[in-house]
Amino acid sequence: MAKNDLIIRVAGEGGEGIISSGDFIAAACARAGQEVYTFKTFPAEIKGGYAMYQVRTSPDKVVNQGDTFDVFCAFNGEAFEVNKHLFTPGTAVVYDYPGGDFEPDALPEGVHGYPIPMSQTAKDLKSYRSKNMVALGALSVLFNIPEETLKQVLSDKFGKKGKEILDLNLQAFSKGKELAQAMEKTDSFKLADPKDPKDVIIISGNDAAGLGGIIGGISFFSAYPLTPSTEVAKYVSIHLPKLGGTLVQAEDEIAAVSQLMGASYAGAKVMTSTSGPGLSLMAEMLGMASMAEIPVVIVDVQRGGPSTGLPTKHEQSDLFLAIHGTHGDAPRIVLSVEDVKDCVDMTVEALNLAEKYQNPVILLSDGSLAFSTQTIPTPDPSSYEIINRKRWDGEGEYLRYKLTDDNISPMADPGTENAMHIATGLEHGENGAPKWTPDNHELMHRKRFNKIKPVVEEYTPVEVDGDGDADVGVITWGSTIGVVREAVARLRADGHKVKGFYPKLMWPMPVDQYEEFAKTCKKILVPEVNFQGQLSHFIRSETSIQPIPYTICGGLPFTPAMVVDKVKEVI
Amino acid sequence: MSVAALNKVQMKFKEYKSEVPVVWCPGCGHHGILNGVYRALADAGVDPTKLMSISGIGCSSRTPYFIQSYKMHTLHGRAGAVATGAQLARPDLAVMVTGGDGDGFSIGGGHMPHMARKNVNMTYVLYDNGIYGLTKGQYSPTSRPEMKAYTTPYGGPEDPMNPLLYMLTYGATYVAQAFAGKPKLCAELIKGALEHRGFSYVNIFSQCPSFNKIDTIQFYRNLVQEIPEDHDTSDLGRAIELSRPESNGGKAPMGLLYKKDKPTLDERMQEIVEKVGGHADYDVNKIIQMSRP
Ligand SMILES: Cc1ncc(C[n+]2csc(CCOP(=O)(O)OP(=O)(O)O)c2C)c(N)n1
Ligand code: SF4
Repeated sequence: MAKNDLIIRVAGEGGEGIISSGDFIAAACARAGQEVYTFKTFPAEIKGGYAMYQVRTSPDKVVNQGDTFDVFCAFNGEAFEVNKHLFTPGTAVVYDYPGGDFEPDALPEGVHGYPIPMSQTAKDLKSYRSKNMVALGALSVLFNIPEETLKQVLSDKFGKKGKEILDLNLQAFSKGKELAQAMEKTDSFKLADPKDPKDVIIISGNDAAGLGGIIGGISFFSAYPLTPSTEVAKYVSIHLPKLGGTLVQAEDEIAAVSQLMGASYAGAKVMTSTSGPGLSLMAEMLGMASMAEIPVVIVDVQRGGPSTGLPTKHEQSDLFLAIHGTHGDAPRIVLSVEDVKDCVDMTVEALNLAEKYQNPVILLSDGSLAFSTQTIPTPDPSSYEIINRKRWDGEGEYLRYKLTDDNISPMADPGTENAMHIATGLEHGENGAPKWTPDNHELMHRKRFNKIKPVVEEYTPVEVDGDGDADVGVITWGSTIGVVREAVARLRADGHKVKGFYPKLMWPMPVDQYEEFAKTCKKILVPEVNFQGQLSHFIRSETSIQPIPYTICGGLPFTPAMVVDKVKEVI
Repeated sequence: MSVAALNKVQMKFKEYKSEVPVVWCPGCGHHGILNGVYRALADAGVDPTKLMSISGIGCSSRTPYFIQSYKMHTLHGRAGAVATGAQLARPDLAVMVTGGDGDGFSIGGGHMPHMARKNVNMTYVLYDNGIYGLTKGQYSPTSRPEMKAYTTPYGGPEDPMNPLLYMLTYGATYVAQAFAGKPKLCAELIKGALEHRGFSYVNIFSQCPSFNKIDTIQFYRNLVQEIPEDHDTSDLGRAIELSRPESNGGKAPMGLLYKKDKPTLDERMQEIVEKVGGHADYDVNKIIQMSRP
């Protein structure tokens, strides 16, 4: 039986068209009505180095990159060497031979090999750059990627570059097709037959966060480039000015967050994007944002740390920093995203919460989602609730830090008559004037902390996956949720009693919900991609649960199989 | 910043004082500068409701508390960056930063070149007392090596920086200097700065009798020399020469050194918005459609 949940990995040297091949396959699959989840790794070097792009596609929703690949396409010898230990009986391997830069050893028993002379064919066409098109042509035949759809995608892309370039690429594509047609198909992988395209867009996590910012209504964005967050700024820089908003590339992250503070005080809805090292630099100003009650949103696309660590690799290790990273006692709201759809929705949510509670909000994305493109239902901007800060109604005396029933004090934009006030990082009384009496500091701390308490009641995007009592409950966060979802489904299908718990509000912690969940589970397992088990730490300190941490930190995400194995081990 | 575009008001300089009592030591030069600020605001007719005064941390950074305006008292070194955001978000308002030499050129030194080069439309008044006042007397980037301070008990190992030279070379479009003993001149130069469209920088020497025992008011009085009447303020080369006491018999210039008209950052951003934007059909839905597979 053909397998329709298909994982295709292409790999080779950066610059050989690996990324564009992956993008083409992903777009073609989406146009053919399939769901898509892509996963890429590329080197920190600008040119060259090993690059990999994996497309997982299925008629049903896919929520992670998968365990490993079914189909592998090697553009060069290095790619082949790097991946050959992952070949299993049944794997289909398309590789550049003869005429490529390597002589593959005999393929292991049961591996289906398809030697395609990609380099040679491209050379014969006097167009070395269309090597990837030869590969695409071969893949389309071998794995039923609809040819017409692929060609459309190619035309859309290359059409802009002129007819000559398009023709050359289509020619290479046809050559690749012919080469594959001449071969006997021996493996069982096949993309499901095309259906009507769904109402989806295909977008990366970073672009989606930028889109979320725009839907959420930002009018000011300032950031400093830092992998893997930079595309958020790139996306916003393309669109925000066209909508009349202001975009700045700051001189550093300290300046970026400082500018947000000034702009937000001045009345704008503001956002920045960064990664761990940048978030560290922002820490001092985040303390002031809490103290002066100024809404700011920071999208932190986590990468491997500490220090410059693993600059292009996946990790979920900024939770400590996000929750407690500043001096003094400072209330903080921290959200995390599960997938690309969340990158849109939760960014809107982050902006809403920042505005509503006049507090800094940090949204944690991660290196895996940053570049992962996924098909998501086309967002309808009018379906989002957009919250703006409570503004002064002009009645009575204006007090910026007025003590109110809900602890939220109305803001007044500069320029408003009769509302001149100071925003300050010094402890202050209701009018903003410095006030350092012991009573006042306690009172104001209580105001600021109580102010964000309702977040856990009003806003608890925590999902419980599975019902009844379980032997193992798996709690996880960020993009690991997608991996755990699949692991839980597989385990349940095998008759195991397993449940999942997926918080997206990381702080303040919805403690009751954690505990309620834990009551129904004999053991709690917490997989996360960091060394110390950061979420486990907070579960231990904030709840009565004693979790079993399961951490990895090799720069790659978990696979569902890893979680399945671990759960079986602890059951 | 140019306050010319603002709603002009007629207020006496006393009316710009807030109710917050001034906390500086007696004899501190900052008092004189503050008087200059009040007078400049009154002379320029600035509407307090339309003014955002922003500061960092330091004795000098207390200034916003004493002025009628919208205001932010931010973090050590960050006033300029905060002000940049405020100005860009509200180009219809005026922004003034007040702060010290430590604040501006030590911890905040990374922001200074960028406000100047980007020509952010704001006024930066720097209270230059060659010392960290608020932290009780450590040497600052403008301290002379002769000074024995809290952290330089044997004198300093470093040469001081020259703020004027920096601001001129960073590209500030209005650069002036005065000293606290001349509040009238301070007022005049600050008023000029407020009325200038672009990044205006006014360096003002300010004695700190509590901690800087060598840069006394008398010392500054002897140090400064008025810029010749016939100085051409559009001549950057000449302004740079004047800014260097080494080439002026050890004298520091007092007055307006340089002034240039150049589009401001917000104007240039507005130009971009007008160039690429303004399409009625460009909206979020259209952006979303661009991600169709
Ligand atoms: C991050 C940080 N580091 C250090 C300080 C301590 N600090 C406060 S004011 C100051 C120096 C102020 O000197 P200056 O800016 O020259 O102003 P003055 O007090 O002399 O007017 C320092 C070092 C601080 N508040 N924050
Ligand atoms: S310490 Fe110095 S700078 Fe601060 S108020 Fe006193 S005299 Fe002025």
